[in-house]
Amino acid sequence: MLFTLGAFVSLAVLSFLGIDALPGDGCTALLGRFGTPAKVAECREEHQLTDPVIVRLGNWANDVVHGDLGYSIKRDEQVAQIVLPRIRNTAMLAVVAALMAFPSAIVAGLLIGRYPQSRIGRAINTLGVVAMTLPEFVIATILWLVFSIWIPIFPGVTVVPSNATVVELLPHIWMPALTLAAVVFAHSMRTMKAGVTTIQLMPFVESARLRGTKERVTLLRHILPAALPPVVNTIAVDAAWLLTGTFVTEAVFNYRGLGRLAIDAISDRDTAVILPIVLFGLGVYLTMSLIADMVVRLLDPRLKQHRS
Amino acid sequence: MQKKTILRVLTVAMLCGSALLASCGRATTVSGVLRVANDAGFGGAETMDPYDGNRTWPTINMVFDRLIGVDKDFTPIPELALSWSSNDDLSEWTLVLREGVKFHDGSDFTADDVVYSINRMIDPEFDSPVRAVLGVIEAVEAIDDYTVKLSLSTGEADLPSLLADYRALMTPVDSQATIGKKPIGTGPFKMKTFDPEGTTVLVANEDYFFGKPQLSMIEIITFADSQSAAQALAGDQVDLLLSIDGKSSSIFGDTAKFTLQTIPSGDWNAIDFRVDRHPFDDVRVRKALRIAADRQIIADAVLGVGGGVVACDTPVWTADPYRWDGPCAKDTEGAKALLAEAGFPDGIDIEIWTSDVEVHMVELVEAYQQQVKDAGIRVIIKMADASGFWDDVWMKESAFVDSWGQRPAAQVLNEVYRSTAAWNPTGQVDVALDAMLDDARSTQDLAQRKQKYIAIQEHLFENSAIFLPYHKTLTRVMSSKVQGIDPIVIDAVRWEKISVS
Repeated sequence: MLFTLGAFVSLAVLSFLGIDALPGDGCTALLGRFGTPAKVAECREEHQLTDPVIVRLGNWANDVVHGDLGYSIKRDEQVAQIVLPRIRNTAMLAVVAALMAFPSAIVAGLLIGRYPQSRIGRAINTLGVVAMTLPEFVIATILWLVFSIWIPIFPGVTVVPSNATVVELLPHIWMPALTLAAVVFAHSMRTMKAGVTTIQLMPFVESARLRGTKERVTLLRHILPAALPPVVNTIAVDAAWLLTGTFVTEAVFNYRGLGRLAIDAISDRDTAVILPIVLFGLGVYLTMSLIADMVVRLLDPRLKQHRS
Repeated sequence: MQKKTILRVLTVAMLCGSALLASCGRATTVSGVLRVANDAGFGGAETMDPYDGNRTWPTINMVFDRLIGVDKDFTPIPELALSWSSNDDLSEWTLVLREGVKFHDGSDFTADDVVYSINRMIDPEFDSPVRAVLGVIEAVEAIDDYTVKLSLSTGEADLPSLLADYRALMTPVDSQATIGKKPIGTGPFKMKTFDPEGTTVLVANEDYFFGKPQLSMIEIITFADSQSAAQALAGDQVDLLLSIDGKSSSIFGDTAKFTLQTIPSGDWNAIDFRVDRHPFDDVRVRKALRIAADRQIIADAVLGVGGGVVACDTPVWTADPYRWDGPCAKDTEGAKALLAEAGFPDGIDIEIWTSDVEVHMVELVEAYQQQVKDAGIRVIIKMADASGFWDDVWMKESAFVDSWGQRPAAQVLNEVYRSTAAWNPTGQVDVALDAMLDDARSTQDLAQRKQKYIAIQEHLFENSAIFLPYHKTLTRVMSSKVQGIDPIVIDAVRWEKISVS
C-alpha cells in the first residue's frame, strides 16, 4: 500500500518536473508563433505560471486531493471533462480488443500445442507471428483496405466526437479493436502453446492418459490449468498495454482515446491534462499485475498450500 | 443441451447485432449535407472569434461575412458593403452598407456592428492578428445606420483588398464574451453545435442575403492526422479535404469518384538570414546566398513536381496583380564572384536552423544545401525541437527556415519586410524600402501603383536577406458528388453555392 502510494507520488512529481524542464509552457503553446512577449507574460500571470514549480505542484496536489483535476489552459475547459470521456473510449476499445484476442488465443494455443502437425494450426501460428512483428499502422492499413474499401462492412475511421454515446461509438470500434487484437493475439497464443508443449510430456499427463481418461478431459482438466499461469501474466501485460499504449492505432483510425490526447497534451505543455493520464497508466499497470497475481494464485494449488 | 442452444442463439444474436450496428454507423453521402474534414490546427484551443489567433477556419467564413469579398480573380467585390470610395490621398474611406441584412438571431446588421467589429480588430490591447492587416485604420465612425467612414494613418490604395482578409468578418455589437463558442453572424450557415475536436454542425441560413444556400447542413469533422482524413474520404465518410499533400494525391486518381483541384496559393517557405550578424550584414553575401540555387529544382524536390511556382525572393504571389516574375536563374559564377568580393574566395560555411514544426521546412534546407554546394557555400543543417522553434530559433538564430500564409502584396510587404514590422524576421532596416512602400500604397492610379510595387520587388531581389524560392500549389480533393467549389483558394469559395447530389 505504501509502495503504491509512493509510486503515484513520485511519478506525479517526476512528470511535473519533466514537463516543466521542456522548453515552452502552456501559454507559449496557446499563443503560438505570434504571441508577443507581453501577451505571453499576461497569460502566465493569469494562470499562475510564474510561481516556482514546487508551489504549482503543491497547488495542483491540493486541488486533486479535493477532487479537482484542474483546468486546461489550451483547451479552456475543466480537465475532468476532457480526460474522462477519453478514458471511457480507451477502456471500451481495450475491452473489445481483449475479448477478441485473449479467449481465442488461449483456445488456439491449447489446440496448436496439442496438435502441432495440424495445417490450420500452423497457418494460425504463422499469421499470428506475422501480425505481432508488423508495425501497427501496417496492420491497420491492411485491415482498413480489406474491411472498409474492398468489402465495406466497417466504417474506416471514427467520425463521432469523443463524448459520443456508446451506441454512436460502437460501430467505429471494430476496426481499431481488430488491429489491437491482431497485435496482442500471438503473445498469449504462443505462451499458451509453449506451455502445452512441455506440459503434455509431463508424468501427470502421461498417468492421466494411462488411466484411460478421455483426451478432451485430459486437455481441459489437466493440461489447460497447468499451462494457464504464465499466459495470465502475458495477458496482464498486454491488457495494460491495450489501455495505455494504443496511440498509433488511435491516430490511424481517428479514434478519440487517451493516447492521442496524451501526445497532444505533451506538445501543448498541458501539465494538468498530462498528469491524470500518466497516473491512470500507472494505476492500470499496478491493477493488472495485482489481478494477474490473484488469478494465478487461484489457478495454482501449490501457491494456496504455500500460504497455509 | 438446452444450455448449448441458448448459447448458440446468443452468439447468433450478437453477431447480427454487431453487423447491424456496423452498417448503421457507416455514414454515406446524404444529399444536401456536406462533410468537410478539418485538421486539428490548434489542438482544442479553437474559437469562433474571427479576430482571435486561434480562430477556426474555414468555419468562420461559413458563419460570418466580410464587408468586401473577392471574386475568382481576387478583385474586390461587394459583400456586406455595397460600395466604397476614398478621398484624394486615400486616407479616408467611406463604405455604404447593404440594407435589410439580419444576423442569425434576427437583429439588424447596421453601421454600429461595423464600428464594433473594426474596433476589435484594431484594438492594441486585444492585439488581434487582423491588426497586422488593418492596422492602418486609425478610427471608424458611423455616419448613419448604413454608412461608415474609416480614417487611416496613411494613404492605402488597396484597403478594399485588405478588408477582404478572411478574418475581417462582421460580428454583432457586444458579442466578444459569447462569440467564441456561440457565434452569431450574417453568413450562409448558422452554428448548431460547436465542437472543434469532434464534429461541428452548421445549418443553412434560409434568409441569407445572397440567396438560400444549396446545402441544408455542413458537418466539419476533425481529424488529428491527415492520413486518417484521407482514409475517411476514400471510405466515403467525408466529402471534402481542404488540402492534401501533393505527393499522396495519387490515391484519389479515380476521376469518377473524386475531383482533384490544384490551386495556386500564396503560401511560402523561406530561409531567413539575420542582417545584424556577420557575414549576412554584407549585401554581397546575401545576394550570393540567394542566386546560388536553382529554385525550380528546390520547389520540385520539396513540394513534388507541380507542387509549387518559382518566386524570385518576392512574397507577392502569382494571382496578385502586383506580382513580379523575375528572372532569377541559378548563377553559380555570379555567386562565387560576389563571395570573393566580400572576402570569401574559398567559399563560406554557414549554419541554418530548421525543424519539423511544419511540413516542408526540413526538406527545404536539405534541397538548398545540395543546390549551393557548387558555389562554395557549405551548409550545416541544425535541427531544433518543434516545440521550441518559433520561440527560441525563429528570428533569434543567424539563419533559419520560415513559413508564411497567403497575404495580399500591400500586407505581406509591410508585415514582413518593413523595417519597423514586429515580425520582420531578418531585422533588416531598409529606409529606402520603407519609403518605396509608403509611396506605392498612396498612389491612386493602378498602373503607376503596379510599377511601384514591381520596383519594390526588384529592390528586394538585390538587397533582401530572405531567400524565398517558391509559392506553394495546394491540392484539394473532394467526392465527385460535390458541386460548386471553384478551383480557387478557400477564402474566395462561396459556401452557399455548394451542393451535394
